[in-house]
Amino acid sequence: MRTLLSGAGVVIAAFCAMSYAHGQRATERYIPLGQSPGVSQKVTRIGEIAEVDESKRTVTIADPGGRWTVGITDQTRIWLDRTKLKQPNLTGSFTDLHKGRRVEVKYQDPERREVADWVKVEVARP
Amino acid sequence: MRAAVRASMAHRFPRLHVAGAPLALALSLAACNAEPPGAQAALIAKGRDIFFNETFSGNGRTCGTCHREERNFAIDAAFIATLPENDALFVAEFNPELKQNFENPRLMREFGLILENQDGFDDLPNRFNMRGVPHVLALRTSVASPQGPRTGWSGDGAPADGSLRAFATGAVIQHFTKTLNRVAGVDFRLPTDAELDALEAFQLSLGRQADLALPLPLRGTVAKRGQEIFLDDRLGKCNICHRNAGANRADRDNANFNTGVEDLPDQPARLTGEKVPRDDGFGTPGDGTFNTPPLVEAADSGPFFHNNAVATIEAAVGFYDGEAFNNSPSGKFLASIDPNGVGIELDGTQIAAVAAFLRVINALENIRQSLELLAQSEALGFFERAHAQQLLKRAVNETGDSIAVLTSGGLHPDAVAPLVEARRLAERAVDSLFFRRILAREAIQAQKRARALLIEEQK
Repeated sequence: MRTLLSGAGVVIAAFCAMSYAHGQRATERYIPLGQSPGVSQKVTRIGEIAEVDESKRTVTIADPGGRWTVGITDQTRIWLDRTKLKQPNLTGSFTDLHKGRRVEVKYQDPERREVADWVKVEVARP
Repeated sequence: MRAAVRASMAHRFPRLHVAGAPLALALSLAACNAEPPGAQAALIAKGRDIFFNETFSGNGRTCGTCHREERNFAIDAAFIATLPENDALFVAEFNPELKQNFENPRLMREFGLILENQDGFDDLPNRFNMRGVPHVLALRTSVASPQGPRTGWSGDGAPADGSLRAFATGAVIQHFTKTLNRVAGVDFRLPTDAELDALEAFQLSLGRQADLALPLPLRGTVAKRGQEIFLDDRLGKCNICHRNAGANRADRDNANFNTGVEDLPDQPARLTGEKVPRDDGFGTPGDGTFNTPPLVEAADSGPFFHNNAVATIEAAVGFYDGEAFNNSPSGKFLASIDPNGVGIELDGTQIAAVAAFLRVINALENIRQSLELLAQSEALGFFERAHAQQLLKRAVNETGDSIAVLTSGGLHPDAVAPLVEARRLAERAVDSLFFRRILAREAIQAQKRARALLIEEQK
């Protein structure tokens, strides 16, 4: 009986805890591009937008390592980093991804590197 | 007068009545004990300094504003009532920029609740949570999970990589800002990598560094029965999620659960009529789950649950016998695998017994920490008096907690007596110039006497 219940305990744990740990996105918005602890330059890439494909909802970014393309979905958070202007950072949208803008991208899945979890867009000029 | 005092002390502490001066003895002892701190100790000390003193160029708050060491690194309404009006905790009451949508002063003062914006900052008047301040003890044992680190009440408290190291960055943005613009470099500065390293090291150093191994050979009749109920997977079922009264279901496996706390009727904060949105827990939008906290430290760190719903450990245990829990996803699942279809059903005496068990293991942890602090203070030499006093004051606080958790539960008056004596000795040691170490040693003996009355000596 005890074995059965112990096994049940494991099952309970499996059923009750479906949440996966992740970094909180709310305060992430206020962390300037490139300064996210444990994330920036480790599981993110920073570069300049080279191309935007509105129909495919993808953005191609260029950095010293080359060009790479990332998908933007409805789940992707886009933030406008206005720290250099000493203005509050804002929630942005796909239309804020302009060619030439500097961005930091965190992938949803760092292995597959297909879709962005969040994108920070640097707004350096008013 | 001085001679009389010296004679009296010489009688009480004959070993110190040596030729020459006590100062000479103290000097030699200081030399013996003056070991250079290791790199880790220095990092922890740096972290402590940052935790309690660094405002990050913000509104005046530090980590220690809410995580008070003298209140087990948490805060409650009773403690808040003792603070001066200009304490940085009340910044929303005197900084016009933070008057709206930063805190709710009424809920802070009445229930110790802090405003958080886990679901974003785009709709400040309507999207926020009111949460208590969790203690930061035993983080070494309670953050790791196979899915990654879990911090804060809902397990998603930290930005960036979600780690304890990154937590301070989010806390500065949420709680330290001068204005609601929250512009880095204007309203606050973000912690540096070195500061984050130090803060992490300090926080990991606090409290237990390992889980207990239950069952313990407890002496108290009711606490012993409480432990049995706690460990019984067919009755209390507590050990399923709080293995060994910690925060894990297995080693390094901290988890989130929806236990229905948000469905409790008559939640204190909501009784006020103030706006208190439903807290959706982990993620955005939330999935209704909250993180499992460790229980060893629970009895002296209430109020309980993420919303400070109940004030006593008895009420917290009683929650699991109620409808809110038993109708929750976690309660229903427990019922679905129970041979009798029961989630958790405990009677009043059983609730009291589990609470008594939690009170006793909390007191044992207080004693463990007190012994550690007293031993550390005893090892410090004459010229390290300031540091020793700091350690002794912490031991006094810990001992006060052990006395309070036992007396509030009507438990172990036999052990309370030596604990009161231990506190008195430690208080005297704080003020003593020459007899600090001897008084600390006597306090250690009193603590050990108390411990022996709570638990059989383990081989």
